[in-house]
Amino acid sequence: MEELERLPRLGGLFVRGAVGSATKRPGGTVRLPEVAYRVAAVDTTGEAAHLAAYQELLGEPSSDVLPAGFLHVLVFPLATAVMVRPDFPLPLLGMVHLRNVARVLRPVRLGERLEVRAWAQDLRGHRRGAQVDLVAEVSVGGELAYRGVSTYLAKGFRAPDASGASAGGDPERPAWQPPMPTARWRLGGGTGRAYGAVSGDQNPIHTSALGAKAFGFPRAIAHGMYTAARALAEVGPARRGDAYEWTVEFFRPVLLPGTVDVAIRPVADVADAPADGGFVYDGWRSGKDTRHFTGTVTPL
Amino acid sequence: MSTTPSPVPSTREAVIIGGNRIPFSRAGKKYVRTSNQDMFTAALEGLVARFGLQGERLGEVAGGAVLKHSKNFNLVRESVLGSSLAPTTPAYDVQQACATGLEAAIAVTNKIKLGQIESAVAGGTDTVSDAPIVVSDRLRAALLDANHAKTTSAKIKALLAIRPKDLAPVSPSTGEPRTHLSMGEHQAITTAKWGITREAQDEIALASHQNLARAWEAGFFDDLVTPYKGLTRDDNLRADTSLEKLAKLRPVFGASLDSPATMTAGNSTPLTDGASTVLFSSREWAEERELPILAKFVDAETAAVDFVHGHEGLLMAPAAAVPRLLARNGLTLEDIDFFEIHEAFASTVLTTLAAWEDEEYCRTELGLDGAFGKVDRTRLNVNGSSLAAGHPFAATGGRIIATAAKLVSTKARETGQPARALISICAAGGLGAVALVESA
Repeated sequence: MEELERLPRLGGLFVRGAVGSATKRPGGTVRLPEVAYRVAAVDTTGEAAHLAAYQELLGEPSSDVLPAGFLHVLVFPLATAVMVRPDFPLPLLGMVHLRNVARVLRPVRLGERLEVRAWAQDLRGHRRGAQVDLVAEVSVGGELAYRGVSTYLAKGFRAPDASGASAGGDPERPAWQPPMPTARWRLGGGTGRAYGAVSGDQNPIHTSALGAKAFGFPRAIAHGMYTAARALAEVGPARRGDAYEWTVEFFRPVLLPGTVDVAIRPVADVADAPADGGFVYDGWRSGKDTRHFTGTVTPL
Repeated sequence: MSTTPSPVPSTREAVIIGGNRIPFSRAGKKYVRTSNQDMFTAALEGLVARFGLQGERLGEVAGGAVLKHSKNFNLVRESVLGSSLAPTTPAYDVQQACATGLEAAIAVTNKIKLGQIESAVAGGTDTVSDAPIVVSDRLRAALLDANHAKTTSAKIKALLAIRPKDLAPVSPSTGEPRTHLSMGEHQAITTAKWGITREAQDEIALASHQNLARAWEAGFFDDLVTPYKGLTRDDNLRADTSLEKLAKLRPVFGASLDSPATMTAGNSTPLTDGASTVLFSSREWAEERELPILAKFVDAETAAVDFVHGHEGLLMAPAAAVPRLLARNGLTLEDIDFFEIHEAFASTVLTTLAAWEDEEYCRTELGLDGAFGKVDRTRLNVNGSSLAAGHPFAATGGRIIATAAKLVSTKARETGQPARALISICAAGGLGAVALVESA
């Protein structure tokens, strides 16, 4: 366990991550460093303006309760700090966010002091490389309040459990038919910059077409977590409750500007729903069957 | 799911004396630069003239507009002050999207029934041609920040946050705030779910134009409409339209869905300007003044559906409201002589009728024992509806109430039997208002 005075800033971490990425190349089997970061007391009193900006952008109602998406934004820099360590074997740049599972176990309010921990775990195979979970936990008064698990793929890397490379990877997905939409999101060219401003994630693939081209995308792409957080907001506090699980799995990226058709449906209305109760959401390119994401919001 | 309605307390009757509206006009034509207040005042003045209400203190005037500028906070009161009604006539504004006019009627007739007032006018007005245009949220925030700033430098700093793109004006849209889907896109989803065909929708549209044209020719609207600004008839009416012409139109909603798009400009209502009013009173008030009594405004019901996450279609609330209304009044669909189902889209009418014929739907969604029943299509919108007349949102309720009252009055006079009309209006926000009108 390494103690930090305060949560690091994402901007600086990205610079370190970008520089460090060049030195991390696929080779032999990779191993995770046995380290966790901890910040003992994060004072959220000063986050009011940040929270308001987040709520306005994502469509969360104005409230002192921090939505799971905001907690992710707040504490993910600590997990990023793990990823930019020289002994973390995978490169920050170029990793693909596969899925995210977050649980809010009790409401976290503006003004509360948070204990934050983050570490990497469960390095395992994927059919296209190695995948790893970055875990970030928030406790308030010694009680676990939030736990977010972000799963990333590093293409071409090999996990110690080599069998995973074939067996442990994702199975081929069955053909997918879009459901009837319940909403339509018209995402402007500035969507990535706007979410970058509230999340701190100013990765150029999200904020500029040129930056995105450098990484092989035709245009800037939306932050996956923006789409997931917006779906979470559209379910809304009244229906997700005080304690809830919020998951998302990402498929093809959302190119900006672009129109995404979204179906956010109560599980009761969805045949073969992947969850019990709560809501299932799906996003796809309007008028096409290009699937962007799917997830759940389930009261606990 | 269904609860047994509690007994309806007996109250005195609220009767419909008559109505007056101005011809409805397609957006951007005759009523350009004519405000909501201008139009509502004109419709109200026509009503006053028709029934000799000059200088009369009415119990209340209630109405509203859907697309309303914030400066029109007392739109109806201002219209009353601009009319020849006594300035001592109270008034208030109502807004329930396309159900505004009907909801205003429900409110004032309830007051009449309770004896709180003797007479009232309900109505509505809407203009797309003179719609309010607002500044962007970012510009508004910067202007408010500058206004709240205490020092000059803080004011300047707030104003410097304005970017050129923030200056673009924002026009009102028919998009649902929570889904960002337009009303047409919402209805296209409902249409696809119920498998309503293009042909069936075009037939509804054709019937609407033919029926409205015939009613105009027969003079049905002579005592319901006052010409305005050179317009003597609803200018959306296409008496010469045909199924062939309607079939040529390109679909405008539902293009991104998997199922074929079926909704066109021909089988969807156009954006329209107009205003309408209806005069209600107690029976005694009307008789004292020797005013005609067309019908009784018997009862009403409102409903809302869970459309935000796709459980139900946006415009399907009347499907739930009508069975509740009829059950409370001990009636079935067979007891209704005239169905006035607002044609937001031809398919709105058809999905509502389909829902009532669907056993499974009526059981699971409406809590009924089986299918609610079949509407006799020869009794449906017999003098045309919104597809032909147009639909200035808040004005539609008044148009329909006056038409329904005159229909039941005429039929009762001809047959010597009581006649009933059912009014059904769907509205944005998953809302619906329905009402029962009976010959007096």
